[in-house]
Amino acid sequence: MRITDSLKLSSSAIFRQKLRASLTILGISIGIASVVLLTSIGEGIHRFVLAEFTQFGTTIIGITPGKESTLGVSPGVFANERPLTINDSIALKRIPHALAVVPSVMGNAEMKANNRSRRSTVYGVGPQMPEAFSFKLSTGRFLPDDDSNASRAFAVLGHKLKQELFAEKNPLGQKIRIGGNSFRIIGIMEPKGQILGFDLDDTVYIPASRALNLFNRESLMEIDLMYEQGSDEKKIVNAIKKLLIARHGREDFTITTQQQMLDVMGNVLNVLTFAVAALGSISLLVGGVGILTIMLIAIQERTSEIGLLRALGARRNQILWLFLGEAIVLAAIGGFAGLIFGYVGAQVLHVAIPALPVHTPVIYMLLAEAIAIIIGLVSGVLPALKAAKMRPIEALRTE
Amino acid sequence: MSISDLLRFSFAAIIRHRLRTALVLIAIAIGVASIIILTGLGEGARRFVLGEFSSLGTNLLIVLPGKSETGGAMSVFSGATTRDLTLQDASSLKRHPQVRRIAPIVFGAAEASWQQRSREAPIIGSSSEMLSIRHWSLAQGRFLPPGELTQASAVCVIGKKIAEELFAQTNPVGKNLRIGDRRFRVIGVLASSGRTIDLDVQNIIIIPAVSAQNLFNTPALFRILVETRTRDSQEKVKKFIINTMKSRHQGEEDITIISQDALLGTFDKILTALTLTISGIAAISLTVAGILIMNIMLITVSQRTTEIGLLKALGASRYQIQIIFMTDAVLLAIAGATLGLFLGQGGNLFIHQLFPALDNSAPTWSVVSAFLVAICTGLIFGAMPARRAANLNPVQALVHH
Repeated sequence: MRITDSLKLSSSAIFRQKLRASLTILGISIGIASVVLLTSIGEGIHRFVLAEFTQFGTTIIGITPGKESTLGVSPGVFANERPLTINDSIALKRIPHALAVVPSVMGNAEMKANNRSRRSTVYGVGPQMPEAFSFKLSTGRFLPDDDSNASRAFAVLGHKLKQELFAEKNPLGQKIRIGGNSFRIIGIMEPKGQILGFDLDDTVYIPASRALNLFNRESLMEIDLMYEQGSDEKKIVNAIKKLLIARHGREDFTITTQQQMLDVMGNVLNVLTFAVAALGSISLLVGGVGILTIMLIAIQERTSEIGLLRALGARRNQILWLFLGEAIVLAAIGGFAGLIFGYVGAQVLHVAIPALPVHTPVIYMLLAEAIAIIIGLVSGVLPALKAAKMRPIEALRTE
Repeated sequence: MSISDLLRFSFAAIIRHRLRTALVLIAIAIGVASIIILTGLGEGARRFVLGEFSSLGTNLLIVLPGKSETGGAMSVFSGATTRDLTLQDASSLKRHPQVRRIAPIVFGAAEASWQQRSREAPIIGSSSEMLSIRHWSLAQGRFLPPGELTQASAVCVIGKKIAEELFAQTNPVGKNLRIGDRRFRVIGVLASSGRTIDLDVQNIIIIPAVSAQNLFNTPALFRILVETRTRDSQEKVKKFIINTMKSRHQGEEDITIISQDALLGTFDKILTALTLTISGIAAISLTVAGILIMNIMLITVSQRTTEIGLLKALGASRYQIQIIFMTDAVLLAIAGATLGLFLGQGGNLFIHQLFPALDNSAPTWSVVSAFLVAICTGLIFGAMPARRAANLNPVQALVHH
């Protein structure tokens, strides 16, 4: 039997029973569609979260006070007896390959300007913040490079805070009172949006030393160091460790690199995508049982046909592949239909709920199709073996 | 046709094709079992999280310094504000008759050492009432002594792990522990295991609030925990707290109050939604099983065409034929759902054996609805084949062979 003949036989069997075949295909396609749809959502969220993180750049090393770390936040951030100081951040500038060092402290305060008042977040930062975190200014300029321990009382407004306090007026040069202290506004940031629960637009940026005074604190909450692209991260981390241990007498700080954060995030999100794919494949399993059942029935119905083929000299192998082929073709068509359903479904979902990011990588689609074919193969094996084992005489005799 | 005839007719078809029937049952059972197992897991997770939260205390209000007007609620989290919450603020809250207990919290990290051993540990500065508010218990010694909040004393209560790591075999009670540059006498060891959301109780050191303020050189409190006498009085107490703080803070409302109930409610909602979603996804597999039922029924109808023709020739109405095949589909669905029920409950028991901490018994609503959905699937997907059988022309059906 030639290959074209086998194909023709397999496909004619499918076409003869159009309704039956299309229902089987529908079963498989629902399974594949749900897998594709769910992994698209998983992958979309994965990319979204990674993009949120990498928008600050990947060459950032964070240093926080305190060594003991639970859930990623060290209690030392809130209070400690060995503060991380602005002088520490000045010293860190000497680390080779360090491009920018940003001390930061964050808190909540009441702001008054233009006869309006608002409670919001205050970030005490260093002058290099825009370049370290790739933030952009919409007007004016950022905090100047003053002596870090005697910075002038300048403030830069976040986009939303400017809207709330000044609406359409130009705030540059105006005064703003933050927790009773007066600052002069010298710039406005571009809108940045919410990042992981922090609204970066409803904020005001002031020099870190001023913020420490404002909040009556000694210790910074974090120092971020951005290094040159392509330099050895390990060496830099070691240099930071050495320098700070020399300054503090012991290791009472925690260093987290952006890369570590990304790795941990990536792992968590991969598990998530895998879990939703597993949820979707329950339907796929049921679809596989469907193929198995239908193929068993088909073989029962075509027993005499198989007998005839065997009597005409078809080998067991050929019968085996004939039915296996039918199962695979059914599954492959179902898989392809499912791919299209799943992809279109994901796109529709994205249009309906724009906040939900979706992404369907080509490799996932190919994988899903491959899984469909494997399901066809696995669920076709039993019926095909059954067909191949039939004795031609008995098979011919059955009616 | 009597019901017993109907059932016999249906069973005959089911028994005749044992393998086929078994496979359909398996398909339905997979769907039902996965719904039951997944809702069990979801419910288990929900119960676990809610249990963790309620173990933090009951009728709790948490007062945080600072207030944010937009969704950026995270900015209050850091605790740094221009006007701190102080111990005097905390004492003033005791005045309300509905306030049962109060615990100020100062939070930070410091190095603790005894002889040659040292480690960094989270330090909680609080008061004697913390023990009752958080439902902690002691393994040894006693908790912080009651008294004025503003009274400093050099005593500490340590978590179990801290005791093991720093004191090893020695009895820590009565020993002097060095925290930062000060000395504290250990007066008790906490027995409680488990976590308080973000901190392991075994890993903390508790000292009087004022001592912690001195240690960290700050007048500020991180939070104030307020336990009300009853659940109903929470709103009243909330108003009282806001008013008191306003009058103490020059008329400015610069605090945020979170009630434990609101927090619990939010988590409850999120986790219930999650459970519903995953069981919904599992229910898709029942649709696939339904399609299989339909396919098998169509095949049965075509294989039993002569039989149907005979029944019709003997005077069976279209309605009766339809009932016969619907019975077939529903019987399959019920049998499959029952099988799935046992598989699902068995799976839940098995998972419970693996993770005894997880109470993952499936809720009744999920078991009932999985069963109902399976039967509906049988009804919906059996309808088309049944109609097809009923519409057969008796003469043509009889000469079919």
